[in-house]
Amino acid sequence: MSTVRAATLPRGALVARAWAGLGDAVAPLSNDAGRPLTRTVKLILDPLVLRPVLNPEFAAGAIAAEHADALTARIADAGPVLAATASWFAVLKKERRRRWITDGNPQDLYFQRCFELATVHGEPGPDAADVAATVLAEVHEQDGPTVAALRDFVTDPVNAAELTRLLDAAWAARRPAAAGSTATSEFLATCAVAPDRTLFGALVAGLAGSAGAADLDRPGVALAHGLTSRDRPVRPELGRGASKANLPRPFDRSIVERLFAPLTNAFQRAGLADVPTLVRREITRSAGPWQLAEEESRLVVVLGRDASADLAGPPVGGAGSAAARLRSRWKREAYVHRVLRMPSAVPPEVRADVRGVREAYLRRLWVRLHGRELRHETVTFDQVWDVLDGVLRSVILDQRDRLRSALEREAVA
Amino acid sequence: MRVTRAADLVGDWPTSPEVVALLEGSGASLAWDVLADAAAPAARVHDPERAAEWLWEVYGDAAEAILGGAAEVEVPDGGDWGVRDACRRVAQLNWAGAWWPASVTAGVPALDPAVLHAERAVAVSTVEHLLDDPDAVERALASVGSFDVPTSDPEVDALAERVAALAEDYGVELRPARAPGRAGFALAAGGVDGGTGVTALSGTSTVDWALVPHGAVDAAAPARWAVVRRQGSTVLEVSVVPGPTPGSRLAARFGFGEVEVALDVDATGWLTGSAPVSAAVLLLPPDRRALTVYAPDFAEPTAPDPDAASRRAAIISYARSRIGSPTATVTERTAR
Repeated sequence: MSTVRAATLPRGALVARAWAGLGDAVAPLSNDAGRPLTRTVKLILDPLVLRPVLNPEFAAGAIAAEHADALTARIADAGPVLAATASWFAVLKKERRRRWITDGNPQDLYFQRCFELATVHGEPGPDAADVAATVLAEVHEQDGPTVAALRDFVTDPVNAAELTRLLDAAWAARRPAAAGSTATSEFLATCAVAPDRTLFGALVAGLAGSAGAADLDRPGVALAHGLTSRDRPVRPELGRGASKANLPRPFDRSIVERLFAPLTNAFQRAGLADVPTLVRREITRSAGPWQLAEEESRLVVVLGRDASADLAGPPVGGAGSAAARLRSRWKREAYVHRVLRMPSAVPPEVRADVRGVREAYLRRLWVRLHGRELRHETVTFDQVWDVLDGVLRSVILDQRDRLRSALEREAVA
Repeated sequence: MRVTRAADLVGDWPTSPEVVALLEGSGASLAWDVLADAAAPAARVHDPERAAEWLWEVYGDAAEAILGGAAEVEVPDGGDWGVRDACRRVAQLNWAGAWWPASVTAGVPALDPAVLHAERAVAVSTVEHLLDDPDAVERALASVGSFDVPTSDPEVDALAERVAALAEDYGVELRPARAPGRAGFALAAGGVDGGTGVTALSGTSTVDWALVPHGAVDAAAPARWAVVRRQGSTVLEVSVVPGPTPGSRLAARFGFGEVEVALDVDATGWLTGSAPVSAAVLLLPPDRRALTVYAPDFAEPTAPDPDAASRRAAIISYARSRIGSPTATVTERTAR
């Protein structure tokens, strides 16, 4: 570092320096460059060591020089428990391999468990293999809801009749959302760098998200949003089964299809309610504005809709606004295509995706928000930009993958 | 090294996509010009806050001044550049996957896509913490196939072991090993020979790399054409030397759109095609007797770049120099 003391230091640099001081003991939590893995930061350092919620001075971004030593000291102090976490991770991976478990990402599934083990037991002892076996059983054979349980529940004739009645009743009781103010531009103008808690709160309280759904029942509106293939949304079926590929558009999915993907992901399944509760909630949710249950989620769809309105059209929204930033990401992609020698003429099988990037964007956004509702991870004012930006990135990267595999298929044909 | 900065741009961003080794970081993209051999890349900063978390790994102490808006900064030579070098490796592999100029005629052997995908996944994992895509490692692993080890190359064996461990760490199952994908990449005699007719006119044109997918045609060989008179009719015949992975639908356009010819792999392995043309083709002025080869599903023909020929010659000789080079990636070194 320079000899001149800067007013702030990048947190990444401080973390890297402190991490390097922990040496080889934390190698299982590091990448080949010796930096902590992305998930080490996300699942261990942030929530369990630095805890910016309690210590705002350690939040990602620039760290004031006077807090720099405190931050590195905090990581150094956690050295023994981090080293033990790393050892436990190695033990769990070994046990996982021995049991031929391939489900899920081990970092997602075990990192926080390992930190717990390290806190309670310290370094793995003679009984480590037994402890690891117990943890793996908990993680992988947990009772949580499963696809099989879901299928059994909805195909039971008594349940099916009752659930269909619930669906009918929920949809019969639908009231058109009150038209209200959906003035989102002020919040969107700064949400990427300085999200305004008060503005977000006012939009939630003013039911801007629900109001934004008011015209979805008009012919062609939900269709233009890419959320249905029908002219207007209809009551979803209860459904019996689902396949991960070729799911219909969000509003056309059956209740079972809506719950299917979250149940197949071991990492996400952990925090879900039991099957009957999930199904009943999903029925209620399907009849709500945007077919979502929480006002925050509905608002984020409206924010995403407004911010993505001008991806390809003339620019709207000032410099630095969410709209301008999304647009810049989308424009950048055209250049990346040239550099990576991706097609500039679009093959027919992916043409619809490219033309309909905004529809794909809104679909993906809905699925994300729906998943967060199931896991009770309501979007907060300061997470909005990461969600809005992350969804476009994910749509773009999936498109790239599809173009690339279309090219590779051609090359071997 | 001195670096200039203007608006969101740091350093000199290479102009032609063909020489760009690109890395998409969180909040900023990095680019090296493969022909320039500079240690520090150019950067475009999209989001200074996100970029600040890691740009010091690339520019050292100069990062702060760069993000602070200084017009010119001095990037120190000394320091720990492990992460920057790892970024370069990812970028280099991105470049090789797109532009490596495999050519039988120029003596540039083809890359092994299995080695490329594996080495790229390992390289990506090394810089995962600064990439734009938080799922970059899983995404990179998704295109990796497992290897049948041991191979004939200990370096490839080490790579195979490393990528298998990585896949386990991320809970990704590698695709089953495929039979060696690279067909005999050799060239039989063939091409336009006029056949039984009388060749009235003939010529060659270079193929614009940007108009065809990577590996579809030989990167150095020109496309050949001939206008042949046969049994009272006039035919345009076209032939192109295929690259290591032909298979994309190709076509050729003669003149300014006067004639379109579809190209197919013939019995000798060449990409050839012919189309009847009006005898008036023989009257075209020489500057319009130009042949443009392109892949219709990939790109629309565009006006050729006058600087392309010398740049591509330089890229081809650069690629040749990489094959035995200790500083090259395993992928480049093991091209054959």
